[in-house]
Amino acid sequence: MARRGYQLTARSPWWTGWFAVLLLAAVAVLVPVPARALGDSVAFSARFLLVGQGRVTGVRASAPARWSWELTRRTSAPARLAPEPVRADDPALLAEPFAWWIGADDPGALTPREVSTLQRFFTLGGVLLVDDSDPQSGKFGSGARRELRRVLPDSTPVSIGVEHVIFRSFYLLRRAYGRVAGPADLEAIIRGGNTQVILTSHDLAGALAQDSGGLAALPVVPGGDNQRELATRLAVNVAMYVLCANYKDDQVHAPFIMRRRARDTR
Amino acid sequence: MMRQTLSWSADLSTPLAVAAVALAVLSLALLAWELRRSRGKSAIVALSGAIATALMLAAVLRPVRVSARVTQVGPKIAVLVDRSVSMALPGDGAPRWLVARQAMRDLRDASPDARWTVRGFGTGAASEFDTSSDDDARNAPRSDLVAALDSLTVSSEEMPAAVVVISDGRLDRPSAQATGEALRTELGSPAVPVHTVAVAHGAPSDASIRSVHAAGAAVAHQPFALRIEVGCVGLPCDAIPVHVSELVESGPAVRLASGVAPIVDGTGMIELPVTLDRAGRRVVKIEIASPPGDEIPDNDTRLLTFDVARDRVRVLHVAGSPTYDVRALRMWLKSDASLDVVAFFILRSLTDDVNASNDDLALIKFPVDELFSEHLQSFDAVVLQSFNALPYGLSSYLENLARYVERGGGLIMVGGQDAFASGGYAGTPLERVLPVALPEADAPGIIDTSPFVPAYSSAGREVPVLAPLRALLGTELPSMSGTNVVGDPHPGTVVLWEHPTRRTRSGGPMPVLAVGETGNGRSVALTIDDAHRLAFSESALKTSGRAFGALWDGLLGWLMRDPRFEPASIEVAGGCRAGAPVRLVVRTLPGVSGEMELRLAMLGSDGASPIIRRGSPGSARQIDIDVPVLAPGGYAATLRFGDGPSTVQDFACERGGDEWADSRPDPNRLDHIAQATGGRSVPVSDVRSLSFPKAMEVASERRSSPLLPPWVWTAAASLMLGLHWIARRKFGLY
Repeated sequence: MARRGYQLTARSPWWTGWFAVLLLAAVAVLVPVPARALGDSVAFSARFLLVGQGRVTGVRASAPARWSWELTRRTSAPARLAPEPVRADDPALLAEPFAWWIGADDPGALTPREVSTLQRFFTLGGVLLVDDSDPQSGKFGSGARRELRRVLPDSTPVSIGVEHVIFRSFYLLRRAYGRVAGPADLEAIIRGGNTQVILTSHDLAGALAQDSGGLAALPVVPGGDNQRELATRLAVNVAMYVLCANYKDDQVHAPFIMRRRARDTR
Repeated sequence: MMRQTLSWSADLSTPLAVAAVALAVLSLALLAWELRRSRGKSAIVALSGAIATALMLAAVLRPVRVSARVTQVGPKIAVLVDRSVSMALPGDGAPRWLVARQAMRDLRDASPDARWTVRGFGTGAASEFDTSSDDDARNAPRSDLVAALDSLTVSSEEMPAAVVVISDGRLDRPSAQATGEALRTELGSPAVPVHTVAVAHGAPSDASIRSVHAAGAAVAHQPFALRIEVGCVGLPCDAIPVHVSELVESGPAVRLASGVAPIVDGTGMIELPVTLDRAGRRVVKIEIASPPGDEIPDNDTRLLTFDVARDRVRVLHVAGSPTYDVRALRMWLKSDASLDVVAFFILRSLTDDVNASNDDLALIKFPVDELFSEHLQSFDAVVLQSFNALPYGLSSYLENLARYVERGGGLIMVGGQDAFASGGYAGTPLERVLPVALPEADAPGIIDTSPFVPAYSSAGREVPVLAPLRALLGTELPSMSGTNVVGDPHPGTVVLWEHPTRRTRSGGPMPVLAVGETGNGRSVALTIDDAHRLAFSESALKTSGRAFGALWDGLLGWLMRDPRFEPASIEVAGGCRAGAPVRLVVRTLPGVSGEMELRLAMLGSDGASPIIRRGSPGSARQIDIDVPVLAPGGYAATLRFGDGPSTVQDFACERGGDEWADSRPDPNRLDHIAQATGGRSVPVSDVRSLSFPKAMEVASERRSSPLLPPWVWTAAASLMLGLHWIARRKFGLY
C-alpha cells in the first residue's frame, strides 16, 4: 500500500549515514544507474552557470554530482548524476529550467549576450540559484546582485523565511544552512508569483563538496555534520521546489504542515 | 339575384333633392291652405295643382330605374383549434381532438352561411389546420392562444367578425391566474368576441408528475434542489414514491435521489437534492410509482434535459515522481483560474532513505483509498503522470477508475518511466478504457529511449483539439528523448501523433498521442514525458512557452467536451417528441472535413448504435437530418467526421411532455376568456347555440336608366301648370 512509503523512519547514527554514502558512491561508480525517466531531459540537473571566462574548479566542482546523488537517494526525483556546466550565453541554458551560479569573487559584468540569454531563461520560467562561496567577503553576492539588476531591472530581491514553500518542499526546515550558518533567511526574486532567483549567503556548494575519496571536502562553520545535513536538506528542498513549484502550498498539505510546525515551536 | 329599385338622377346631390322635395311639399301646403279659404272650389284646382307640383318635382329629380346583382355574404368566423399534444388525452366521451372535430362540424352545420376559417394553434402564430389529418390534430408541444390571436390581428386578411376557440383549456398562454381586464389585456384586447368551446370537462383517473423546477442552475458536482409537484386525481393516493436518476450512454441509469411525496387534496410536493457530475447536456429521468388504475401511465415518467454548467474543472493530478515534465504541467494547471487542481506527487519512494524522522518531513500519506473510491466522482478529469500502479496501491482501484471513465470521467495517461505497461497497467481494467492497447509488462522493450520527432497523423492535422497548438507551431514538433511503447489503438481511437519509425503489431505507426471514447467518458494517451519541451526549450522561445499550454488546453478541453474542440454541434430542432418526426441540426466548425457519420443510440442500451446518416457535408456548415420516429427515452447522437474524434449530444424524447403533465381539462379558463372578450363559453353539446352576426348584402353590376327623358317631365309639368292656371281662373282663384 502507498502508506508504507510514508512510515516513520528512525533517525540513524551519523556514522551509518556516511557509511551508506561511501557504499552507495562506490555502487554509483561501478554500476550504471538506470534512468528514472525516458530520457535525461525530465531529470533534475544541478548544473553550474558559467559567466565570462569563468570555470568551476576546486572541490566545489563535485557539488552538483553530490547534490544529484543526495536527491536520488532521499527522494523519488530523478536527477542527472554528472551535470554539465552551462555558459550563460549558451543556448543550452534554455534546455532546462534550473542553473546554479556560484562564485567567491565579483563575477564581473555580464556580456550583452549573457544578459539576453539569461533574460530568455527567466522569460520561460527558469530558476537560478545564486550561491556565494565566500559570504564573508560578499564580493560575489554583491556582484551577482548588480548583474541581476541588469538582467531583471524591474525586480528586487526580497527576504524569504520559513513561510516560503522552499522551507517545506520536502523537509521541514526552520532556517537556511550551508557551509556557513549565515542568516536564517534566504533572498529571492519573485516574478509573477514564481520564485525565479534564490540567493543564498551560505555557500551551499561548499557544504556539498566532497574530495576524491568521497568525504566532505570543506568543514562547515560552526555547526559540524548536523549543519551539513541541514544544508543537504536545503539543497533537496531547492530541487523539489524547482521540480514541483509550489506543490506544498496546496491546501491539502496545509493542515498537516501546520500541525508539525506547531509541534516544533512547542 | 337581381334586384331593381327607383332613385333620382345620379347628378343630383342628396341635399338638393331634399330641398326640391321640401319645396314641393310647401307648395302643396300653400295650395291646401288657399283652397280651404275658398270653400267648394277646390277639387279640380287641388288635383291639377298636386299633379303639376309632382311633375315639377319629377322634372327636377328625373327618376331613374336602378338594376343591381345582390350577393349575400356571411360573417367571417375564425375557428382556432387547439392542436397541442394534450388534445390526445380523453375528453367528453372521446379523445379531445375527436371531440374538437365534432364541434367544428356542428358549428358549420349551425351556421352554413358563415365564412369559416379554421386554424390550429400550438406554438407561435395560428396556422393552417388540416381537419382531415389525424396527426395535425394533436402534435404541438405547446398551446399558446395569445400568439394565435395576435397572428389574427396582425394578418392582412379581413378581420373575422368573431373567434371560436376549441380547446381543453389546458393552455400555456394566457396564464391560468388572469381574469377580467387583465386577461383581456393579455389576449391583446381583441376587437371581436372570442367564443370558447370546451372539449373536456371531467378529469381522467391519473397520477402524474405535474411540474419539475430546479432551484438554481445545474452546475457539475454541486448539489441543486429539484422541486417536483405530483398530482393524483380519481385514484387512492396518500403518498407517491418519486425517483430521480441520470441516463448514461451505457449501463443502467444512475440513481440520483429518491423520496416520497405526501398527497393532500390531489397534489403533493417534494424537494430532492441531486448532483450531476458531468457537464453538458444530461438527461435526467424522474418517475413516480402510481397506484393501480392510472389511465395515463405515460405521464408517470418525465425525461428532462439539463444543461449542466461547469464552474471550474476539477482535475486530479497524480505524478509518480517530480520531474521537469511534472513541473511544466503543474505550473500550467495552476496558472489557469478555471481549473481546480488537486495534486498528489510521490516525492519519496519506498526505497528512498530520507535520513530524517517523519517529523522533519513535509510529506503526507498518499490517500489512494479516499481519492480513488470516495472522491473520484468529484473530479472531472484524472491525470496519471508516470505513476506506477503497483507500489502505491492503485492497482486495487483500477476497476474503480475504469468505471469512472466509462461513466463520463476523463483520463489522461502521460508517459514516463512508470507509465503504461511499465506502470503496471497492462492487462488491468484501466487498459480497456485507454485509447491504446499495452504490451505485457515483462515484454522486452516496453520503453524506447531512442530520440525521435513525433509526426502528425492525417487526423492530427485536422482535428480542433490540436488547433491551438497547430496555430502556434504548425505541424512541427520538438525532438523527444524516448517513448513508452504501446500497442494498436483501440477501436474508435483517433491517433493524433505517430512514432516515425516504430510499428505496432498490426504494422501501423505506433501512437504517441491518441484520444478515445469509452462508455460515457473520454481518455487520452500521451506516451512521452518530454512535452515540457514545448514550455521550456530553445524552440519554445518562439512561442514564449505557450505551445505547452496550447497542447494541454486542447487535450483537457476535448476531455471536458469543450465546444471549441468538438467538430460540430448537434441540436434537436423544436425538441423531440416520441412518435413524431425529429430533425437534428448539425453545425460544423470551419475546417472540419471528411465523410460525416451520424449514429443514434438510446441511452442505457449497450447495443450497437445504427448509422442514420452518412455522407459528405461538402461546404455546408449546417446540415438538417431527419431522424426516424423515436420511442420515449434518452438518446445519444454521435457525430464523426472522417478519422477525427466524435462528438456526442444527449437529448430526451417524451410522449406527452409538459402537455400531459396535468391531464385535467380546464373549462373554467375557457369561461374566463369568453367573459373577458364578450363571447360565450359553451360545451360541445351546446355549440349550435352560438350566434354570429347576420349575413351582409353586397351589390354588384349596378345599372341605372331614366324612367322618361328629362324633357318629357319638363313638358308635362309645363302643361299641367297651364291647366292648373286655367282651372284657377275658372274657379275664381288668382
